[in-house]
Amino acid sequence: MKVSWNRIIGAILVGIVLLFVIIGVFYTPYDPNAMNGAAKSQAPSLLHWLGTDNFGRDLLSRVMEGSRTTFFVAIATVAIGGTIGTLVGALTGFYGGRIDQIIMRINDGITSFPSILLTLVIISVFGIGKYKIIWALGIVFIPSFVRVVRSEYMVQKEMDYVKTAKLMGASDVRILFLHILPNIRPILVSTITIGFNNAVLAEAGMSYLGLGVQPPDASLGRMLSEAQAYLFSAPWYAIAPGVMIVITVLGLSLVNEG
Amino acid sequence: MLLEVKNLTIGFVDTKPTQQVVNQISFHINKGEILGIVGESGSGKSMTALSIMGLQKDSARITSGEINLEGKNLLGMSEKERRAYLGKEIAMVFQEPMTSLNPVMKIGDQVSEMLKLHTNLSKQERLEKTYQSFEEVGLSNPKELYDKYPFELSGGMRQRVMIAMAMICKPKVLIADEPTTALDVSVQAQILELLKKMNEEYGVSIILISHDLGVIRTMCKQVIVMAEGNIVEQGQVEDILYHPKQEYTIKLLEAIPSIHRNRMQKQHNKENEKESADKQTVNVQELSNHANGIGNVSTDKMLTVSNLSVSYYKNGRIHRGERKEIVQEASFYINTGEVVGIVGESGSGKSTLAKAIVGLLSTYEGHVQCEEARPQMVFQDPYSSLNQAKRIEWILEEPLKIQGGFKKKERKQLVRERLQEVGLSEEIGKRYIHQLSGGQRQRVCIAAALMLQSRFVVLDEAVSALDVTIQRQILTLLMNLKRKHNLTYLFISHDMNVIHEICDRVLVMHNGRIVEQGETEDVFASPKAAYTKKLLEAVL
Repeated sequence: MKVSWNRIIGAILVGIVLLFVIIGVFYTPYDPNAMNGAAKSQAPSLLHWLGTDNFGRDLLSRVMEGSRTTFFVAIATVAIGGTIGTLVGALTGFYGGRIDQIIMRINDGITSFPSILLTLVIISVFGIGKYKIIWALGIVFIPSFVRVVRSEYMVQKEMDYVKTAKLMGASDVRILFLHILPNIRPILVSTITIGFNNAVLAEAGMSYLGLGVQPPDASLGRMLSEAQAYLFSAPWYAIAPGVMIVITVLGLSLVNEG
Repeated sequence: MLLEVKNLTIGFVDTKPTQQVVNQISFHINKGEILGIVGESGSGKSMTALSIMGLQKDSARITSGEINLEGKNLLGMSEKERRAYLGKEIAMVFQEPMTSLNPVMKIGDQVSEMLKLHTNLSKQERLEKTYQSFEEVGLSNPKELYDKYPFELSGGMRQRVMIAMAMICKPKVLIADEPTTALDVSVQAQILELLKKMNEEYGVSIILISHDLGVIRTMCKQVIVMAEGNIVEQGQVEDILYHPKQEYTIKLLEAIPSIHRNRMQKQHNKENEKESADKQTVNVQELSNHANGIGNVSTDKMLTVSNLSVSYYKNGRIHRGERKEIVQEASFYINTGEVVGIVGESGSGKSTLAKAIVGLLSTYEGHVQCEEARPQMVFQDPYSSLNQAKRIEWILEEPLKIQGGFKKKERKQLVRERLQEVGLSEEIGKRYIHQLSGGQRQRVCIAAALMLQSRFVVLDEAVSALDVTIQRQILTLLMNLKRKHNLTYLFISHDMNVIHEICDRVLVMHNGRIVEQGETEDVFASPKAAYTKKLLEAVL
C-alpha cells in the first residue's frame, strides 16, 4: 500500500474512532442509560462534554456505547455477507457453467431491489432487534461480495499458476482457498472496507427507522432517531452521533482509496 | 545528418541515488538510412527511442544531452512546439499493435485523426488519403477496413495499420520499437519487407529497435549495440555481426540459437572464404552434440497420442454455437529421454494439444497414454504461472504437501536441493515473484515442475519471453537437467531456431493438424509440407 496524505489522515481518523470505542468498553463518564431528571437537554459543558439528551443521559457516554453497538452490528454484517458472498462467488466464478448462470441471475434479482426495501422485507419476516438486523443486513450484503469475488476468480482461474497447481494434483478446495484466495486479498480488503462503511450507514438507517437496536440501548442510528424531535431545541443531540458516523466513514474511505 | 542524439543521459528520479538508464549516448541517422539498435531488455534502447518522442515515463528525467532534428533541439522546445513535430516529422510504431491502437475506435478514424491533427485537409480529402495509406501498407479493401475495430484484425494487419498511421504524414524519421516481436514468423517477414519498402519509396529514415540480430542483419546497414544504458559498439552491420570487438557483442552473438548462426556463418563464409571456422562454429558443434549426443534415448514410449481431436463450441454459454476444431486427429509418440518439438504459429493448436496431453482439458476425442502419472508443464510467462501472493519456498513446498508423506524438515531440504539444482541460491526462497528477474522466475518454474520427480515435462514456449542470453542459460539448464534425471521433454515453440537446436524430432502444426513430423535434421534439411517450407523461409 502506498503511503499518501489521504491514507495518513484516514488512519488518524480511524484511530481516533477506535480509541474512543475501546475506552468506551472499559470506562464511560456516566452510565449511558442512566436518566437524570435534573440535567435534561443540557448544552455541552464541563460536566457533560457533549451535553445531555431529553432524559438527562450523558451524550458522550451514549456515543461511546452507541458506536460500539453500531460497529458490532457492522462487523457482524460484513462477516456474514463477506463469508457467504466470498464462498458463493469463489465457487460460481471458479466452476462457471449453468449453476453460475442461475446463481448470478438470483444475485442480479436481489441487487435490483433497493437494499433498504429488501432489509425491511427480511425484518418483517424475522422481526426486529439487534441480532435480527445483523442477519437481515448480512443477507442483503451478500450479492455485492458475490459479484466482486466471482469476477476475480474468473480471471484468476485462467492463470497459469492454477494450471500448475492442478498438474501437481492439488484438490479444487486447495486451489480455491490456498492458491487463489491470497491473490484476491487486495480486492477483498477494499470490498470489506466499503462494505463496513455501508453497514455503518445501514445500521444507522435501520435504527433510525426504529427497526434495529431498541431503546433504551444506544446506537448511532438510534440516537439520531431520538434526536430528530429536538433538532432545533437541542442541536448537539444530533450532532454528536452524526459527527461520529461522518468521521468513521470518511476515515475508512480515505484509508481505502488512498 | 537528419537526427542527432548527443550525450543523452536519462535517469530515474524516483530512486535515490538517481539510477541512470541511459548514459551519455551519442549517435545520428542520415536521410534514408535504416539504423538498428540492438540490446537486451533493460539495455535502455526503448528508453532512448521513447525519449526522442518525448514519451518517456514521468519518473524518467533527461538529465543532459540534446536531440536535434535537422539542427533544431527537440529538448529545448516547449511541449506544444514539440507536439507539432510528433507524428508529422517523427513517428513511432510499437511492439504490441493491440494495445497501441484504441480498442473502441474504428481504425480508419484512428488513422485519419493524424491528418486532422497535422494537416488542414477537408473531411473528404482525409478519407481518401486514409484509403490510400491503407493501400500503401498492403491492406486491401480499404473502404471495408475503415469501419473495423482493432480486435477484428489479425496481429499482422494491426501492425500494418500502425505503420499506415505512422507514415500517413510522411514523416522524416520512423522509430520502430520491436515492431515484429509480437508477430508470427511468417508475418514478421512481411512487416519487415513493408518497412523496407517505406524506406525505399518514401525515403523515410528508420530507427529499428530489436533484440533479434537476424532482423537487424536483414534490415540495417548501421547498427548500435546497447547494454546497461551504454553504447557498447557501433558501426557497419557486417563489421559488428561478423567481427565483434566487444565482449558483450560476442556474448550476444553466441546466444543466438544455432541454425540462425549456422546460416549467418555460412553466408559469411561464402563472402569470406579464407576466414576459417572460428570459435563460433566450434560452439555450434558443441551445442549440437549437447542436444543429440545424449545417449540415453531409449525406445520405451513415454507418451503415445492417437487420433486426438479437440473442439469447442463458440459462444457456448447456454446455447451451443458453431463447432470449432482446435486440434484434428493428432497422432504421435515420444520415447523416454527424447526431446520432441512442436512448432507452429499462434492459433495452430499446439498449446491446446499440450493441455490435452497433460490432462488440463476434460473433453477431447482420441487416446492419450502417458507413462508419467503427473506430467508437469512450464509456461511461457513465468509471472502468471507462479503464485504472486506466496513466497518461492511456499510455491515449491506446495507439491510436496499435496502429495503428502514428507516431514517439514524433509520438505525444506528438498526445496533447497531443487533451488540449488536450477542455479538459484537458498535465499531466493524467501522472496516473492515480483522480486525476481525473468530468468530467475523461469528457473523457479522449472524447479517447481521437478519437485515431484516427474519424468515428463511439457515446455510451452518456455523460453520465448526471455532475452537471448537468458534464453541460452535456460536452454543449457534444461539440457543439463534432462541428462541428470533422464527427463523427456515436449518442447513447444514458434521459434524454429530453438527447436532446431534442442529437439531430436519435430512436429509441425498448422490449423490444428500435424502437417509434418520427423527427425529434426531431416525436416529442416528437406521439408516436405508446403507449410514447413514457408516457415523455414520466413526464418531470417
